[in-house]
Amino acid sequence: METPETVPLKKTDAGHAARPQQFAQAAVTESSEAVISARQFSFFYGAKCGVDQVSMAIRSGSVTAIIGPSGCGKSTFLRSINRMNDLIPGSRAQGVLAVNGHNVYDKRTNLVNLRQQVGMVFQKPNPFAKSIYDNICYGPRLQGIRSRGRLSEIVEKCLRDAALWDEVKDDLHKSALALSGGQQQRLCIARTLATRPNVVLMDEPCSALDPIATARIEDLIAQLKGAYTIVIVTHNMQQAARVSDETAFFCLGKLIEYDRTEKLFTNPSKKETEDYITGRFG
Amino acid sequence: MKTLLRQIQDKGFTTASAGAVLLIAAALLVVLIPMFGRGITAVIFTETVEFRRLQKDLHGRGDNEHLARALADAAAVREPIYTMLREFSEGIDTEPLVKQARDVYQKYGEYLNYHNTPKEQYSDYRKQAKDVRDGLVDALESDDRQTVLDDLDAVLKEKDNPAFADSPAMEFFAMAQRYKKIAETVDLSHRAEYLTNLQEVTAAIRQLLGPLPGEPTPPLWMDQYGATRLDMALKARAALLYDEQWISDGPGKPMVKHIIARKEQFAGTPLEPLFDRVEADWDKLLQPRLRIYWQYFFDDWVNSHYFGGVGPEILGTLLLTLMSMCVAIPLGVISAAYLVEYAGDTVWIKIIRMCINTLAGVPSIVYGLFGLAFFVVTIGAIGKPCILAASLTLSILVLPVIIRASEEAIRAVPQTYREASLALGAGKFRTLVLVTLPAAGPGILTGIILSLSRAAGETAPILFTGVVAMGPIPNFGSPSQWLENPGSLFGWLFQPTRALSYGSYDIAVGDRISMLAPHQQFGMAMTLILLTVALNVAAILIRSRLSRKLRGC
Ligand SMILES: Nc1ncnc2c1ncn2[C@@H]1O[C@H](COP(=O)(O)OP(=O)(O)OP(=O)(O)O)[C@@H](O)[C@H]1O
Ligand SMILES: [Mg+2]
Repeated sequence: METPETVPLKKTDAGHAARPQQFAQAAVTESSEAVISARQFSFFYGAKCGVDQVSMAIRSGSVTAIIGPSGCGKSTFLRSINRMNDLIPGSRAQGVLAVNGHNVYDKRTNLVNLRQQVGMVFQKPNPFAKSIYDNICYGPRLQGIRSRGRLSEIVEKCLRDAALWDEVKDDLHKSALALSGGQQQRLCIARTLATRPNVVLMDEPCSALDPIATARIEDLIAQLKGAYTIVIVTHNMQQAARVSDETAFFCLGKLIEYDRTEKLFTNPSKKETEDYITGRFG
Repeated sequence: MKTLLRQIQDKGFTTASAGAVLLIAAALLVVLIPMFGRGITAVIFTETVEFRRLQKDLHGRGDNEHLARALADAAAVREPIYTMLREFSEGIDTEPLVKQARDVYQKYGEYLNYHNTPKEQYSDYRKQAKDVRDGLVDALESDDRQTVLDDLDAVLKEKDNPAFADSPAMEFFAMAQRYKKIAETVDLSHRAEYLTNLQEVTAAIRQLLGPLPGEPTPPLWMDQYGATRLDMALKARAALLYDEQWISDGPGKPMVKHIIARKEQFAGTPLEPLFDRVEADWDKLLQPRLRIYWQYFFDDWVNSHYFGGVGPEILGTLLLTLMSMCVAIPLGVISAAYLVEYAGDTVWIKIIRMCINTLAGVPSIVYGLFGLAFFVVTIGAIGKPCILAASLTLSILVLPVIIRASEEAIRAVPQTYREASLALGAGKFRTLVLVTLPAAGPGILTGIILSLSRAAGETAPILFTGVVAMGPIPNFGSPSQWLENPGSLFGWLFQPTRALSYGSYDIAVGDRISMLAPHQQFGMAMTLILLTVALNVAAILIRSRLSRKLRGC
């Protein structure tokens, strides 16, 4: 089993520079501390095992990519982190999956707090059928922020962070559904940022986008790095190599290899990993 | 080859489905167009001067001066008709004349007393007057022209008798003179026949022009006016001008309808010119002209819908429908949300679902009886049929429809919407209220539209629970009453009401109104359809706005 604590850090100053002031508290000071740590974590859909005995720790402020063949449990693992899988009847978790040191599958876990800390961006852009403004305000309003000035401030900050501000600043009150797919996805990212999470989970955020929109989102991830801990599932290995600090390779529900991205792609220690990244898989 | 087959299949399916849609549309039109065509005549029709008079008397509508002029015009051409009728009927229907002759005799006796006539002279004069009277009565009661003329001549001979000079008895001779003129023209041997025909003619004229002059005012409004609409007037005119008789050509032969012109029936009599006059002066008699009686939708009825409109019925239907929706929509949507979002897939939930599906198919009369037993009888607070009981019954009727439609709509909301909301830290309830229900809005509204029409049109559920055929209009009270007693704001909930659906039924099965005034029946059915359409259009507009918003346009 890898011990991520031993992996040398690759700090990017750019990430810190782009960190928005108001979310400064989201950044954990001891950036070497694990924000997410799984110990012997398994997840079952009824009798079927989606994630099998995974142990890994994810550093605060890092970008972690999860790769692996289809159906290997990447989404399952990701969605376990903020317990989005709870919705599925008959699902069940085993082992420990901790965020900021608290086991999320503890009975006492407050789901609302957890999900405010751990935001999620989905594969398909899913903005609400509301205005751009209201989409972003959804989270803050839930947190009880009512003041118009404060909300406008948040909207602008989040849109700027999501690199969408310049494109939509004139029609904030237009429906979010009138945006293009790439813009919608960035809006969803902005919406997630507006709840001031520590961790942002992204499940194939670029799979529905064209190369230009993909590039913008990758830029965005690079900018957010440091301020947020980002876990991204992707099928695009170039993307994983480009955006991530660390990479985890899953296969058949098991974590096969977890290492620095450079290392994993240039010098994988496992045979399966090598087969997969060189395209000889299956 | 294969593609050709596929193309044919495709084309065939398209044609068949388009045909099916067209067929349904055609069937709808076949039903609706005649319904509307006849219903609209309750609102747009050719009125007569009688209708204007009615509107003036009932509601004070219309210009006084105009109406007075129109009535004067009409009276000018009606007068000769009445005179002809009166003169002729004096010859035929002699009973009033006989009575008059007896009255004259009596008056003569009083006259003699008054003038202190000496005793012998008195009895002599009385005897002479009695002879004259008997002669006159004989003449009046005889069917033979010669006898009549002889009797009248004998009476008229006494004209210069000094005993009668300047006395009321002179009236005998005036009567004899008048009747002689009639006896010379009218074939008295057919008097019985004339008498029945005359009664029919008089009835037709009453239908056409209202009560004859000198007749006492009838108690019902409907009898106080002639034909108020051209279609009714034409019917009365046909009865006036033509006699319809069923005559068998011989024993055992079937009866055949014969149409006989009244003009021929009364040929040679003083009544003959009447029929030509009616035709010639037709426009002046009734002064028909187009009327758009929009007040139909606001007026109350008069004489069980013989006159008037459907205002209270519309109000009642609206109250019942909207009230039942106020109850059914929240209940239905909450139940649907619970079933989809909260309830597991347990046996109990399955049973509940099955019950809801079964309820959707229960005949509406069963709901009516349930409403009677539960809301009216069992719940003491309601205690009698009223709007509240009726709308609660209706709401139970439409609840399954709303629940099922809402369930489908909520289920159809993409899971990603819920996930997006949950991932932002919203709880289950917030997600439901802020995201799922708005997204399901159009689907829920579809269920509401379906149930609106059903609630507005149902008769059986409200039959025993709060609807009446005739009764007061729901009384909402006044602001001052509300201030005094806030409870009175809801007083109307505990009053019965009229409704379009039940009104249509009542006219149809009730009494002769559906025959006398068919426009009223069709008018009410049309109003019900229009009201349902209006409610639906409103709901559809809301739905399209909502779904446009959801699509982001
Ligand atoms: N709702 C579910 N019910 C039952 N089994 C599920 C469910 N979702 C996923 N699974 C199973 O769990 C396993 C892991 O699925 P998961 O969605 O995590 O794969 P993935 O790595 O995200 O694949 P992909 O790259 O195609 O998205 C799969 O074998 C799948 O069959
Ligand atoms: Mg997946």
